[in-house]
Amino acid sequence: MNAALEAEGLVKRYGARTAVRDLSFSVPRGSIYGVLGPNGAGKSTTLRMLVGVLRPTEGRISLLGGPVTREALKRFGYLPEERGLYRSMSARGAIAYLARLKGAPSGKAFKRADQLLNDHGLGKVKRKKIKTLSKGMAQKVQVLGAIAHEPDVIIFDEPFSGLDPVNQRVLEDTIRAQAAAGRTVLFSTHVMEHAERLCDRILLIAHGGKAFEGTVQQALALAPSVAVLETEGDYDLAATLAPKGFRIVQEGEEHGNRRWRAKLENGHGSRQLLQACVEVGAPLSLFEPARASLHEAFVSLVGDKAMPDAAE
Amino acid sequence: MSPIFLVARRDYFAYIGAWGFWLSLITAPLIIAVLVFAPVLLARAEPPRTLAILSERVEDGAHIAAAFEAEARRSARGEIRAYLDTTAPAIVADALAAFDAAPERRAAIAAAREVVSRRAPGALRAFPAPSPRYIIVEPPARTIEAMRPYLSGGRLLPNGEALYGALNLRRDAAGRPVIEYWGVNLSHEEPSAIARRAMRLMMQREALAAHGLAPAEADRLETLEPQIVQFDPRSRAEEAQVTLRQRAPFYAALLLSFVLWSVVFSVANMLLTGVIEEKSNKILDTLLTSVTPLEMLIGKLLGVAAVSATLFLFWGALGGTLLSLAASSLSTSMLGQIAAAFLEPRLLAAFGVGFVAGYLMYGAIFLALGSLCESIQEAQTLLGPVALVLAMPMMLIAPALDNPNAPIIEAASWVPLFTPFLLLIRAPAGLDWIEIAGQGALMLLAVTVVLMLAARVFKAGVVDQVSLANWRGRKAKG
Repeated sequence: MNAALEAEGLVKRYGARTAVRDLSFSVPRGSIYGVLGPNGAGKSTTLRMLVGVLRPTEGRISLLGGPVTREALKRFGYLPEERGLYRSMSARGAIAYLARLKGAPSGKAFKRADQLLNDHGLGKVKRKKIKTLSKGMAQKVQVLGAIAHEPDVIIFDEPFSGLDPVNQRVLEDTIRAQAAAGRTVLFSTHVMEHAERLCDRILLIAHGGKAFEGTVQQALALAPSVAVLETEGDYDLAATLAPKGFRIVQEGEEHGNRRWRAKLENGHGSRQLLQACVEVGAPLSLFEPARASLHEAFVSLVGDKAMPDAAE
Repeated sequence: MSPIFLVARRDYFAYIGAWGFWLSLITAPLIIAVLVFAPVLLARAEPPRTLAILSERVEDGAHIAAAFEAEARRSARGEIRAYLDTTAPAIVADALAAFDAAPERRAAIAAAREVVSRRAPGALRAFPAPSPRYIIVEPPARTIEAMRPYLSGGRLLPNGEALYGALNLRRDAAGRPVIEYWGVNLSHEEPSAIARRAMRLMMQREALAAHGLAPAEADRLETLEPQIVQFDPRSRAEEAQVTLRQRAPFYAALLLSFVLWSVVFSVANMLLTGVIEEKSNKILDTLLTSVTPLEMLIGKLLGVAAVSATLFLFWGALGGTLLSLAASSLSTSMLGQIAAAFLEPRLLAAFGVGFVAGYLMYGAIFLALGSLCESIQEAQTLLGPVALVLAMPMMLIAPALDNPNAPIIEAASWVPLFTPFLLLIRAPAGLDWIEIAGQGALMLLAVTVVLMLAARVFKAGVVDQVSLANWRGRKAKG
């Protein structure tokens, strides 16, 4: 059995409202798996069902090849979107407490807490109370609390939100290190860049349903190619090429030149675009075919309105 | 280790580690000690109050002054008796006989002291030195109008003291006595009450003398007093007489009911604020992957129950030691008998059962309410009506003490929310087995139902994020 986690036909209804509809996906063991979607798409509800906090209205979940049981859940680490710790506990006490709730023996839990805090640069504050730590430090402590019992599968719900860029990078490293140690990491995010940098596979959820599941490359392949162009002066490339069927938007202006981004779709490739530019005599100073971003891939899959943020 | 135990353990140490816990651990016995001893200490610390008597007739004034002196003598005798009751019960009768034989108060105190120094020298060390509550002084002026500055605090007496009050005794046109009491402490009526009693006796004597009765005969009439004895028909003939020993369990039950009520609601309130704090700290979602809502509810109930147990153990050890000492060494005294009543197994069992059932019921209700609230302010809007319901057992305690078997009290004790408190206060009256078993079973059923319902509400509150705010929002939209 290669799947760490499998969901089949998941549905979650709250009265007349359906938060998650017919969602099926499979998370391979040892992979980094991203669940993406805009706010309110149903990501957190899905993750809460996976870790047994919520019971699905319909559907089946398989954890490490078996049903959702207390024992199976002990092999999972979970960082919820709504984060918090007991403010009067020490950092090591909080981590050890979460580990012990997952079945780790007391001595081992404290030893592991000390080790994790030292490894993540928090050794000096390990005996300090949570209320005296900065928000970023407290969030780090909570991340460590989710992995202290050395789970096989780690589920993080929006782990990057609230972190500054430096700590986002540290967390990315932590996720990579956990995957390198053979653990499966599943995280949700609405920031495409993290998923693009980290994930082996992704699941896109929109309006509670699955819009896409596969590798990042597969997702990118679904997006139209793009080209970045620069014209001299105030030449209007978009208006000139529109009659020829090209969708071009201005991205900015630099040193008196205009920068454009063209979507290559409807059978138009970069060669056809360059040829059209030559035909109309456009004063090009730059022509650069570029790879589509995950964001663009998703726009093409679910449309603008259901789109996650491009960056945060 | 069981998650329930871990939750309970964490909550227990969180409360034990809070300075508020230690404060309540220490302050409660201190407050009780202050409540018990403060009135006595205050009364002893207060200097005698000076009164002046103006009288149209010399004999009226002398009679009232003598009444105040008699009151001081009676009070001194009571104080000496209470002291000897607890320190040297064997010589109480002889010491009081010596006191009574002396003609004047100071001499009477000295006579009693002399008996103690001879017969029980060990009790002499803390022998009381009773001082009179009122001292009658020469009026600083001849009329009440002239005395006003003294009475209102504008002027002091020649010895430098303030004049507390004045009695102006006069006769009306028909020759009937009129007592005017002048003093700025408007709620204090004791001096006028003493004067009224004394003057009434004087009027009775005058009336009896008018009918030809000799003053000595009138004095004898005053001392006539019936003997009153109360009996309990349920006791054997030789034990049927009701004394303090039989009444003491009722007073003990009353005090324990108040303690039970205040402890149950204090700790239930701890649960409420604790769960609101956890909701606002956003910690619950983290815990819910390891602990089910029911386990969390039970863990929290156990944790705070352990906090209560710690408080009880400390207070119980302290109080039990003091009461045991009192019960053994002061067996004949009032304090000793009340102390023994507190240690009655039946009462302690009722207290234990009442605490467990009351705590579980109210604790679960408060936990469920807390899980529906996002803030203490929001909880307070819920607690208003709930507090009114919870105050009802307190309203029933006084009537239950007066008549433990009144129909309304019997009916109310079948309501599980009131049973823990009423069972306790009715215990000394002797409950039959059907009542104990029936109410116990009903309480057990109620505890089970409340725990099940509370677990559902708690789950809705912490897992499904149902709260008062979004419930109101839904209602407004719907």
